[in-house]
Amino acid sequence: MSIDMSQFYQVFFEEASEHLANMESLLLELDIENPSLEDLNAIFRAAHSVKGGSGTFGFTDMTEVTHVLETLLDRLRKEELQLRPEMVDAFLAAGDVLRAQLEHHQGGPDADADQIRSVCDELNRLASGESGGHDAAHASSPATAPEARTVALACALPADIAGDHAAIENLLAGLAEIAAVDLKHRPAASAPRLSATLTTLKSDGEIRDTLAFYVSTDAVSLTPGAAPDEAPAAQDDSFGFFDGAPGAAAPAADPGFGFFDDAPAAPAAKQAEDPGFGFFDDAPAAPASPVQSDPGFGFFDDVPAPAAADSASADGIREEKDKDGAYGFFEDAAGKPEHLPNRDVSAADAPAAIEGQGYGIYVNAPGGTGFFDNAPGAPKMAPATTTSAPPPGGQSPGRRVTDAPGVETAKSGRRDADKTVTAANTDTSIRVSVEKVDQLINLVGELVITQAMLAEAAGAFDPVQAEKLLAGIDLLSRNTRDLQESVMSIRMLPMSMVFSRFPRVVRDLAGKLGKQIEMKTIGENTELDKGLIEKIADPMNHLVRNSLDHGIETPEKRVAAGKSPKGTLTLKASHQGGNVVIEVIDDGGGLNRDRILSKAKEKGLPGVHDGMPDSEVWQLIFAPGFSTAEKVTDVSGRGVGMDVVKRNIESLGGKVELECSPGYGTRTIIRLPLTLAILDGMSVGVGGQTYIVPLTAIVESMQPTADDIRTMARDSRMVHIRGEYLPFISLAQVFGLPDAADVTQGIVMVIESEEGKAALFVDELLGQHQVVIKSLEHNYRKVPGISGATIMGDGSVAMILDLASVTRMGLANAQRRKAA
Amino acid sequence: MENTESTGVVASGEYLTFTLGAEEYGMDILKVQEIRGYDAVTKIANAPAFIKGVINLRGVIVPIVDLRIKFKLGDPTYDQFTVVIILNIGKRVMGIVVDGVSDVIELNSDSLRPAPEFGSILDTRYIMGLGTVEERMIIIVDIEKLMTSQEMALIEETAE
Repeated sequence: MSIDMSQFYQVFFEEASEHLANMESLLLELDIENPSLEDLNAIFRAAHSVKGGSGTFGFTDMTEVTHVLETLLDRLRKEELQLRPEMVDAFLAAGDVLRAQLEHHQGGPDADADQIRSVCDELNRLASGESGGHDAAHASSPATAPEARTVALACALPADIAGDHAAIENLLAGLAEIAAVDLKHRPAASAPRLSATLTTLKSDGEIRDTLAFYVSTDAVSLTPGAAPDEAPAAQDDSFGFFDGAPGAAAPAADPGFGFFDDAPAAPAAKQAEDPGFGFFDDAPAAPASPVQSDPGFGFFDDVPAPAAADSASADGIREEKDKDGAYGFFEDAAGKPEHLPNRDVSAADAPAAIEGQGYGIYVNAPGGTGFFDNAPGAPKMAPATTTSAPPPGGQSPGRRVTDAPGVETAKSGRRDADKTVTAANTDTSIRVSVEKVDQLINLVGELVITQAMLAEAAGAFDPVQAEKLLAGIDLLSRNTRDLQESVMSIRMLPMSMVFSRFPRVVRDLAGKLGKQIEMKTIGENTELDKGLIEKIADPMNHLVRNSLDHGIETPEKRVAAGKSPKGTLTLKASHQGGNVVIEVIDDGGGLNRDRILSKAKEKGLPGVHDGMPDSEVWQLIFAPGFSTAEKVTDVSGRGVGMDVVKRNIESLGGKVELECSPGYGTRTIIRLPLTLAILDGMSVGVGGQTYIVPLTAIVESMQPTADDIRTMARDSRMVHIRGEYLPFISLAQVFGLPDAADVTQGIVMVIESEEGKAALFVDELLGQHQVVIKSLEHNYRKVPGISGATIMGDGSVAMILDLASVTRMGLANAQRRKAA
Repeated sequence: MENTESTGVVASGEYLTFTLGAEEYGMDILKVQEIRGYDAVTKIANAPAFIKGVINLRGVIVPIVDLRIKFKLGDPTYDQFTVVIILNIGKRVMGIVVDGVSDVIELNSDSLRPAPEFGSILDTRYIMGLGTVEERMIIIVDIEKLMTSQEMALIEETAE
């Protein structure tokens, strides 16, 4: 090919993954009892888009899988088959296979060939279902007879192939292998169209596959019967993909659009004068004509006609549709015979779709010829042509219509419609690399610091004299804040990005475990930093699997416990203060305190005793290698997991907690900071140094009186606040700074960390800031008690406290003193 | 900034010389990012005394080491003449405090003599050799090896 397709691969990969994800979510939502046609169509469209794209880019393996997928979907869509649960399973499996193939094309490992085969076989088996036989999808087509049959092949080729002599030879040779070919029209650059009569044993699908390398299978139309001989008038190059027949309109006494070369055949067809044309089985005599017009017919479920007249009629309908601004959803085409044009030659329907996308040039050519400027450049839209105003209703020749081409053409139209949607999406969103966004965030961070520096410097000026300067700085600070917020929001993604993967996990696991599970999600619009979203998915996966495997009981057990046999798994996200709280809630049996305790003792975990409070017992399951599962399944139970979950979440600056009421369920609560880059902090002064305390951890601050400070066992100091005794931790002592002599002159902050509550003693509170977190490890090393550093308004560096670690150090200090 | 690979073998090149007390040291000039005055540093809790703390170098947090304290040379006073050499070592940026920066000299391997082995504070592992320029002895330090060594405690023990 003259165009280097590889440059578009990435787009295809991204689009295909989106389509697959879309397909999967639709499948999971599908009501098996009563599937809505709309959903089935949407699934079909997704599958079809993947097929179209993979065909275009030459990923024939994917085309094959999607093809069988489509075959089954199509029968469902037409309500020829009843949807059954195993079909959904097969669709999901096919989705997995496609994803694997997609990864393979992106340089991943090879897709499992056996799996592909078995999925295809399964789909074929299901598709053949009631009517039995591989060609069930084409059941209504007369072409399904097992004996040799004659089909008219017509397809539009991309101009570059048509002009490539060698490629044409290959194509024809390929065809010759599967069928006896009676070539009617040899493609040439000037007329990039192939028309031939094939006599073959093969199914339409196989013929299409043979051509798939050269031309999108959708552009291929196969019609039973012989292809028409080329009309002399057909050689008009100006029609882009199709040879036009400018004169063709004349016999039809109608503004004709030279779209098909079959003009001469049309009058014959016209004689049928049958106003209905959906399933015209009654006009078998109608000559097959180049059906490449059909691809445009988009959504005629009932399909394009092999004869020119048919295409003309379809065309008319489509034009009606065009007027409505609908691109190609002409399921009802058959039901609109009143729009049937009496033109013989049609402009293709594609123009509708194309026009919808703004590519098309819609030219009225009432006098006769249409032309298709855009066609050659848009192989996918092969049938692109122009059309004119809807023709007057009139006769429509009857003819036989097969299902198969209809399906194909419908797909083609759909794809155009899909493209329109995609095009619309690209208008509203852009893909930007994360690095660029991060760079932007860094720069804004610097800007915030600079702005704070300016503001501080400006504070020294006389407000009267420097009024304008100060006003400007005020404005600057407001703008900077807005800018920072907007920039930060770029990285924010909704939790649904994570939640959306779980319906599938739950469905698969529930099936595997023989449990009935319903999944609910709450608050999936809660936004979280992209970095966190990516990292939270794995821990959540563990938690969900745990809930399904160990939490929710089997239906029998549930019924025995007086619960509904169907378990519920709830995923919930919400904002709480400066945190995002994600909860995984199941209504299962809960944790078994005794078993955890005995297991913990068995493993010799430190500090385990029978009198431990529940909350501490639950924390034990986060110990490495801890599992109370009686048997190891491939779902969970190996004891790797919860410790990883905990570690992962803590590395994100979050916490994980468990709440459980035996018999009623378990709730795992993950608390995460909103973002990794910015922190709301309180700056405090200790021994001449400034430290930042994360605001979210501060419960309250107070100036203690001498009475509030109590000692226990000689040295350990406690603070008595609202009836609670909290360990008194002097930050100065922890960091080896000069301690304030008088406790009552300082401030006690009640802080809450994973180590529990503590009273942190500092010299003074300085102010509240939003600080940009800078890594200390980048150029230095990890410092105990410090989670990072930031740059203050005056350009100096302040350390951000890691309160859990500070609390631990403070308590250890006290213990050391006690020991000494 | 690109880091030039430390060869371990003394090759000819340009060296930045600096003084610590009465001694004159030299280091590969390609490791030097910039030279600046000493600013207020933010102390790092529980760090060794020779790690003065961190500074904000145009938005980057840079640790500062006082080599005078580390090697017990010179007088660790801080005034407007105190010099900080900002180094680029690997992908890290760090600063060292020295008494003064004197010169950029060119030395080739021939004029370098190996340092005799004796138990000085500055381990001979970190000395590339002794150079002589106009009768002055210059101790050429392998600054990368020194700064990334465990005894400098500048980087995580597990790292590297």
